[in-house]
Amino acid sequence: MSAQIWLGLLSGIAFGFVIQRIGATNADKMARAHLMLEGEIPRFMLLAIIISSVGLLGLQSANVGRTLIIPVSLVATGLGGILFGVGWGLCGYCPGTTWAAAGEGRMDAVFALLGGLAGTALFAQLHEFLIPLLHAPTNMGQITLADWFGSRPLAVAVLAVVFGICIWIIGFLWGKSTNAAES
Amino acid sequence: MKNNNTPLPYWKWVPASFALAGIIIFIFATFGPPASSSGFVSTLKGAIQVVAPDYVEAKAHYRMIPDTGSWIFAFVLGMAIGGFIAGRTFSIQVRDIPEIWEKRFGNSRVKRYAATFAGGFLILFAARLAGGCTLGLFISGSTQLAVSGLLFGVLIFAFAMLTARIVFGKGGAGKEGK
Repeated sequence: MSAQIWLGLLSGIAFGFVIQRIGATNADKMARAHLMLEGEIPRFMLLAIIISSVGLLGLQSANVGRTLIIPVSLVATGLGGILFGVGWGLCGYCPGTTWAAAGEGRMDAVFALLGGLAGTALFAQLHEFLIPLLHAPTNMGQITLADWFGSRPLAVAVLAVVFGICIWIIGFLWGKSTNAAES
Repeated sequence: MKNNNTPLPYWKWVPASFALAGIIIFIFATFGPPASSSGFVSTLKGAIQVVAPDYVEAKAHYRMIPDTGSWIFAFVLGMAIGGFIAGRTFSIQVRDIPEIWEKRFGNSRVKRYAATFAGGFLILFAARLAGGCTLGLFISGSTQLAVSGLLFGVLIFAFAMLTARIVFGKGGAGKEGK
């Protein structure tokens, strides 16, 4: 097998392990996060992004790695975000966690995964019709905060401050989980 | 659970964030932006091309993602293995129906599995439309400062919170759950 496959497998195993340990593969904890009863999972996601964005800045200054900016389309990104939120709130799984939760042995996640394959198959069938209809007309291109603020380090700093404020607010408004070691 | 002296099993969110960020940075360095909804396309492409290679060749969505012999597929397969290892070494047993769901809708497996099938269908259809999921668009995108990822992130949290309120009631287990 090629090195890329081994790297993907290794990265996936580590990723799946960590998201299980924070409780993201547990649909009960995910629902409690959405209901503002437990703040750990959203705070974990936001802090992980802050640290990753600083790390990526380092990689880029060393000219290591590869990036790919997904273009923003007001209608496709907007409608996709809304539908995704409804599905996530309903089942408590997102695409990545269905794999880890199915591996963990959760039967409801196996059905979420099967539903996901069906949803993917339908979208792939309709791609040629939906992308020109919903994505292309409002496609604004590969915009980043660095374009808005003029410099990448400044944009990372702004992201870190805004996400940091969100983490602080979540700590205020959300409850704390009863089975986390803190508190 | 088995032993009261063992520390509580879930990790604290701050060290867990550093662990996940370390993995994400490793992935950016060795592959590129991590993604998981593409893994669904990869899985289907690998399966369908065996029976209908012409169909896969004709559809743009399958042409843009590599088949199962790729990092993309190895990653989602790895996540299942990682989840398996994590579950085997964890002190809390998994449930097929989450507590909060059972309190609201009872212990019918058919009802829960139908709901997660529908939810899974929606999140993948939506992710393929937007160009990624929680990981591939929100986490990868925001790490790269992409406006698409930030907009997607705001919307998925807002609508998931709204939907959870409708599905589970106002306080979830807190207010009415006994």
